[in-house]
Amino acid sequence: MHRAASHDSPLDSRISRRGFLTATAGAAGAVAAAPLLAACGSGGAPAKTGAASTGLLQRILPQYKSSSLFKPDYPSVDGSTPAYLSYPSNLVRTVSEIPGAGGSYSAITPLWGTIPSANNPFDQAVNKALGASVSVNPANGNNYSTILPPLFSGNKIPDWIQVPTFWAPPLNFGQAAADRLADLTPYLAGSKINKYPNLAAIFSDGWQAGIWDDKLYGFPSYTAGFNVGYQLYYRADILQQLGIGTPAIKSINDLMDLAKQVNDPKAKRWAMGDIFGYLFQPYNYATWMLDDKGNLITQWESEAIIEAMNWMAKAIKAGYVHPDQVAGNYGNGITEFYSGQMVIVSDGMGAWNAADAQKGQAANKNYTRASFDFFSASGSGAPKVPLEAATAWTSYLNKRLTPSQIEEVLRIANYLAAPFGSYEYNLLNYGVEGVDYTMSGTGPQLNASGTKYAGSSVSTYNFLVSPNNTMFNAGYPQVTKAAASWAQRNAKYGYQPLFYELNVTVPNSLSSANAMTPFSQTSNILYEVARGRATIADYQSTLATWKRNGGDKLKAFYEGVLTQQKKLGSA
Amino acid sequence: MTRAAATGVAGTATPVGTLAVGAIGVAGTRPRWRVRLRRDRALLVMCVPALVLLGVFGYAPMLGLVMAFQDYDLYDGILHSPWVGLANFQQLFTDPGFLHAFWNTLMLFSVQLVLFFPVPIALAILLDSLMSRRIRTFVQAVVTLPHFFSFVLVVTIFNQVFGGAGALDTFLRSHGVTSPFDFMTDPGTFKFLVTSQLIWKEAGWSMIVYLAALAAISSELHEAAAVDGAGYWRRLVHITLPGLKGITVLLLILNLGYALTFGFEQMLIQLTAVGPGAAQVITTFSFENGIVAGNYSYGAAAGLFLGATSVILILGANKVAHLFGEDGLYRK
Repeated sequence: MHRAASHDSPLDSRISRRGFLTATAGAAGAVAAAPLLAACGSGGAPAKTGAASTGLLQRILPQYKSSSLFKPDYPSVDGSTPAYLSYPSNLVRTVSEIPGAGGSYSAITPLWGTIPSANNPFDQAVNKALGASVSVNPANGNNYSTILPPLFSGNKIPDWIQVPTFWAPPLNFGQAAADRLADLTPYLAGSKINKYPNLAAIFSDGWQAGIWDDKLYGFPSYTAGFNVGYQLYYRADILQQLGIGTPAIKSINDLMDLAKQVNDPKAKRWAMGDIFGYLFQPYNYATWMLDDKGNLITQWESEAIIEAMNWMAKAIKAGYVHPDQVAGNYGNGITEFYSGQMVIVSDGMGAWNAADAQKGQAANKNYTRASFDFFSASGSGAPKVPLEAATAWTSYLNKRLTPSQIEEVLRIANYLAAPFGSYEYNLLNYGVEGVDYTMSGTGPQLNASGTKYAGSSVSTYNFLVSPNNTMFNAGYPQVTKAAASWAQRNAKYGYQPLFYELNVTVPNSLSSANAMTPFSQTSNILYEVARGRATIADYQSTLATWKRNGGDKLKAFYEGVLTQQKKLGSA
Repeated sequence: MTRAAATGVAGTATPVGTLAVGAIGVAGTRPRWRVRLRRDRALLVMCVPALVLLGVFGYAPMLGLVMAFQDYDLYDGILHSPWVGLANFQQLFTDPGFLHAFWNTLMLFSVQLVLFFPVPIALAILLDSLMSRRIRTFVQAVVTLPHFFSFVLVVTIFNQVFGGAGALDTFLRSHGVTSPFDFMTDPGTFKFLVTSQLIWKEAGWSMIVYLAALAAISSELHEAAAVDGAGYWRRLVHITLPGLKGITVLLLILNLGYALTFGFEQMLIQLTAVGPGAAQVITTFSFENGIVAGNYSYGAAAGLFLGATSVILILGANKVAHLFGEDGLYRK
């Protein structure tokens, strides 16, 4: 109960969470469980979890040592991403020696976009700076989840590979890590990371995402102090044009009323996209949560999710949702938002940037993306928004690398993790001056070659390892202002849900229940209820079947993990 | 080199040779068998690439099917994963999701078979009756082209026209219809939607075989019948259609073989539009449970059931064809 209170309160762990090892380890301790203790639940199997007891976690996690080369215009508030309005003119070198020793390494990372030709001028420039040959093979992000299992089962993984946390469960990742991946604990744990100052400047929460069964395996990318799954965006210019101005959405009913006002299919304008993915925020449900009596439940069993389904079904039935979204054709979603066919959409935090403004303004010169502040469904009380892990992007090294190779890769990783304002960061994100970009008053401007290679390869290297997120939009300071102030205002509503940042390895016998297929597959039961093709009763019976076929045992297993956490937390 | 290659050929080709002998019904003695081998050597060599292809991509992967009887673990592989007997199949046949997918498969296939099958035949007869060679070639090119489109494109084009934000509904809305029918998301009419997509995409392509069969019917038969006073319909019923019977039966049987595996892509793309109630078939079920959810054994069990049922269907249909005195897949 005591623990429940601390999880439900957004503030206590959040404020102290940024910064120091002690704070982070303390927060993490709340969600840590000792490995190999038999779980109390009827699951029976020992609960092997991602992180160990507080003390052990302290020994595994690299020591955090902050580094900020330039003072941000929008400093971090409650963990929000620091933002810069201008680009530093005096870039700082953070790595004095060439990190590589001439080694050559293969890597695979996902890429959403056009895959540039191999060994292009940008790759060559990066490899030259690294002093090693890191040949990254970007793979189509859209089917990345299906290329991972054969790579892992066939033991065909490259030297360095990106495995997003959300695609790890089907790989039974705890075992994958032990069998196939290099243990980085001996190289990075505690003060050992001091050899690599840029890596040490990544938040401990980012590193925690790479811990499996008490060992550190992964490098974090895109680590953020404040990370939520979705934001609710809208077209500020369209609402202006309709005379609505900037609406204050205080509850889920306000949102429905606004939708009604905006919706006009005859003019080919629908109020919203399929925003069901966003609704867990106003309705406040998380994968694992405690009910009113303090019992552990899954979000599927919560009352809130049923209310959310009903709300979405009502919006779809009223015709407020774009037909393509109702049909599950999400591919054109962004184009439909740009063209004004959809006014309100849910999307990730990364959607609000310069590239978006550029593309949107190409479609409509008044294009302005804005985001509603968080609100609670009922409209009463402060919003409570379950946070996502500090990062979902983690890369791993192949077990067959020798210690000296691992050390070379770590030096390379240290280069790749150089922060905003450094010479290295500039190279990795914009390429070479004169070749890929020209420096203008507002920051680096990519030229044609830069757009083709550096521009499309940015995520390729960043998915290996990258510094903590910062926000900067060359040429679009107004975008930075809006997005950064939104984050500063809203970060305080985030709280860490149960098992936050804990990589739990479930026993094999529970893995199929853990996949939660009825609720997660392409056309799942929630999706069907929202479209009026299934009823709440159908939903309940699907839930009952899932619970019968392993769901209840899975819950018992997690109850065991929770009990361990409580023991350790109070110890 | 030459000898090694030749031995390889002989080794691979043996079953084919035996089959040929058996089929013709000659009690082959050993020397004659060798003579035949020497005589057909060139043909047998030409079979090798196809056989290798079949072996590597058709038969070798089938070994993986044993995982249907295991609790397959990604890291233990098929050699070390624990055996579970028929447990996966037991779960399969009590899973309402699977049974529904099975029913959908049979239902969608039947509707497609009944509505699609006659279209290429009719199209071929129609085209065959055109006199102008130029128009014929033009029409043939137009109706064949969609075959080369992927289903992604076909569904997109249908969506642009019939979807809720498509051309038709936009037109209707601008003319006062407030909530026009959305053909793309209605589960009730889904079977007709997929059939029309199939007809648009494949009818022209399937027609080519029938055109060839029509060309093989001697024009003397038509002339003689016409002289005897037979009109167009009479000639159609007594000459044209009987001439197409053999090829029709063959294609029908081959189609049955695909009955349970058809339209994977087409269904997967539209699964979200109409929901699993209407569009979940065994192949998509196997994909979602096996590949997406990582429950490989379960997916493989569904796949194996599908393969076995297809073989039974195709052999059964062949048997029926033989009973009616047709050639079927091979001459008896």
